[in-house]
Amino acid sequence: MITAGVDMGAQSVKVVILGDGKVLARSLVPTGFEPLEAAKTALDEAIKSAGVSRDDVKRVVATGAGRKSATFADSSLTEVTADAKGVNWLQPSVRTIVDIGAEEARGISCDAQGKVLDFAKNDKCAAGSGAFVESMARALEIKVPEMIELSLKSTKDAPINATCAVFAESEVVSLIHSKVEKADIAHAVHDAIASRVASMVRRIPVENDVALIGGVANNAAIVDVMKKHLEVDVVIPENPQFVSALGAALSAAA
Amino acid sequence: MSAIEKFEEILENRHQYAKDWKQRTGGKVTGWLCTYVPVELLYAAGMLPVRILGTHEVQDVTDRYLFPTVCPFSRDALAQGLKGRYDYLDGLTMSRTCSHVQGTFDNWRNYVPIPFSHYIWLPCHRESPRAVPCLRGELLDLKQAIEKFTGVTVSDEDLDKAIELYNTNRRLMRQVYEFRKSDDLPITGAEAMEMVVASQLMDVVEHNKLLEDLLAELPNRKLDREAGLRLMMIGSEMDDIVFVRMLEELGCTVVIDEHCTGSRYFWDDVIPEEDRLGAIARRYITRWPCPAVSSEFNDRGDRIMQHAKDWDTQGVLLYQQKFCDPHEFDIPSLAQNFKELDIPTLVLEFDVTIPFGQFRTRIEAFLEMAELEVF
Repeated sequence: MITAGVDMGAQSVKVVILGDGKVLARSLVPTGFEPLEAAKTALDEAIKSAGVSRDDVKRVVATGAGRKSATFADSSLTEVTADAKGVNWLQPSVRTIVDIGAEEARGISCDAQGKVLDFAKNDKCAAGSGAFVESMARALEIKVPEMIELSLKSTKDAPINATCAVFAESEVVSLIHSKVEKADIAHAVHDAIASRVASMVRRIPVENDVALIGGVANNAAIVDVMKKHLEVDVVIPENPQFVSALGAALSAAA
Repeated sequence: MSAIEKFEEILENRHQYAKDWKQRTGGKVTGWLCTYVPVELLYAAGMLPVRILGTHEVQDVTDRYLFPTVCPFSRDALAQGLKGRYDYLDGLTMSRTCSHVQGTFDNWRNYVPIPFSHYIWLPCHRESPRAVPCLRGELLDLKQAIEKFTGVTVSDEDLDKAIELYNTNRRLMRQVYEFRKSDDLPITGAEAMEMVVASQLMDVVEHNKLLEDLLAELPNRKLDREAGLRLMMIGSEMDDIVFVRMLEELGCTVVIDEHCTGSRYFWDDVIPEEDRLGAIARRYITRWPCPAVSSEFNDRGDRIMQHAKDWDTQGVLLYQQKFCDPHEFDIPSLAQNFKELDIPTLVLEFDVTIPFGQFRTRIEAFLEMAELEVF
C-alpha cells in the first residue's frame, strides 16, 4: 500500500511517500502564508518524484503544528506520536528523541515498539529553536551555514544567559560591543540553545540511544554542543527533518 | 431552562446577578478571595458572599501594584477591582493563605473604594492543638466586625441556619460528583465546573434549589458524545471553562477534580457543635487543604490518590497558575504517585491567557499516548 505523511511545520511542509515499507519520495516546500497550498504543492511534488499517481496514495495522514490546515488528509496525528513512530522505524534502539524544529523543541521518551512513554515541549518561547539560530545569525550579519562553520572553530566560551530570544539578541549585541570573536559568539548562541533544550529534555528520562531529529539536527554546531549538554552520544538519522512526516506516513499504512 | 443552563447564565451575568440580589433583598454583598474565608459566617449576617474571579483577558492595569512574578489569577482578580467591575461590593474579605492573592486584597482595599474589608489570620500550623482555638478567635473578630458594619447581631440560630444551608450545598454537589463515577457519564467536566463556580457566586438557597433540579435531571441525562479517557484535573484556581471545553472536545471527559474552584472548595462539611464558631473553625483547619497551607500532613496527596481510584481515573492533568510555588512543589511527588499506578500525567502551566494551539497539541499527544494504554 502507498501512503503519504504530511508534516505541516512552522517553516516548511515536509512530505514522505511510503510504499510497501520503503520511502519512495520526499519533498519540502516553505509553509509561507498559505499552508494548505504549500501542503498541496509538496504532496504533488512528492507524488511526481515517486512516479505514482494521486489515486495510488491510499491514505494521507497530517502531523505538525498546522496539521488541521491540511484539510485533504484522511486523519491527523500529533508530531509527538509521529516522531516516535518515525524514529522507531529508522532506529528501534532509540529510547529518547530530541526534535528541534523552527519554532519548537521537544523531548520524547519511547519504548522498543515506538510507543510514547512521556514527552516535554518548550513553552511560549523560541529560545530553543531553529528560528533563534536564524535571528542570531542576522544579528551577527552572517548566513546560518557560515555561523555553523565559525562556531565549530570557536576556542573560548562566552556567556549567553538568556532564556528568551529577544533578550538573547541584546546579549549578543553586548558581546559584539565587547569585541568578543564572532566565532565565540556563534558558539555561545548554539550553546545556549543546547543548554535550554537539554534542560527541557531532562524533564523526561534521558535514556540511550538518543536521537536528534528536526531541521536543526542538520546543524553540526548544535549537534556538537547537544552531545556535551546531554552527556551522551546522539544518533542523527538520515534526513532528520523528514522523520515526523515519515511517522505520519507509517501511521497511515498501519 | 435546565439547571446547567442556569449555572451557565449566572456565570455569564455574575455581576448582574449580585446587583439584582442586592436590590431584591436589600442585603450587602461581600467579595471573597480565597476558599478559606468562611462563607457561612458571612451568609449568617445576611450577606451574599461572592467569589472574586478573573476574566482571562489581557489587561494592563496591575503592573503598578503587583510584581510581574505574582500569579496570573491574583493579577486578573485585581484587574477586575481596578476596572470597577465589582463596584457593587459592600465588603471584601480574605484569609491568610497565599502572599500573591494577599497582594490583590491589600491593593484592592487601598486603591478601590470599599466600605468594609476584613482580613482573617488563618493559623499556618494547622496540626497544632492551638490552631482551632486560634482561628475561632479570628472568626469572632470577623463576626464582631460584620455586626458593627451591618448593625445586625448574628445569633446562634442564624449561624445554625447558614451552616445547615452550606452543608446541604456541599452534600448535593458531592451527590452530583457521585454520578461522575459512572461509566455512562451524565455530565461533562465543564458542566460540573460551571455548577461549582456558580455555587461561589449565588445565594446558597437558590443554588441548592438548582442542585435539586440537576439531581432530578441527571438519571435521564446522557453526553452527546463518547466520554473518551477519564481524566482528573488537579491544581490551583481554575474557572477557565473555555479551556475545559476545548480539553474535553479532544476526546476525554473530566470525571473528578482537585482544585479550589472545584472539589477542594466544597468537599468537607461543618460538623455541628454547641460552639458554632468553634465548629466552623474546625472545618477550615481540617478541610481538604490547599498546598499553600499544607504543612506536616500529606493529607492532600492521600486524598487525591483515593479520589483518583474511586473515580476510576485513566489520566491526570496537573496544572498550576504560573508562579504558584506551593502547587508546583506538589507536582513532582503527585506525578510520581500516579506513575507508580501507571496513570499518565500531563503538566500545564496557566497564564492569564493561554496558548491554545500549543496546549491543544500537548493534550492531543497526551491522549494519543494514554489511549494506547487504556483502550
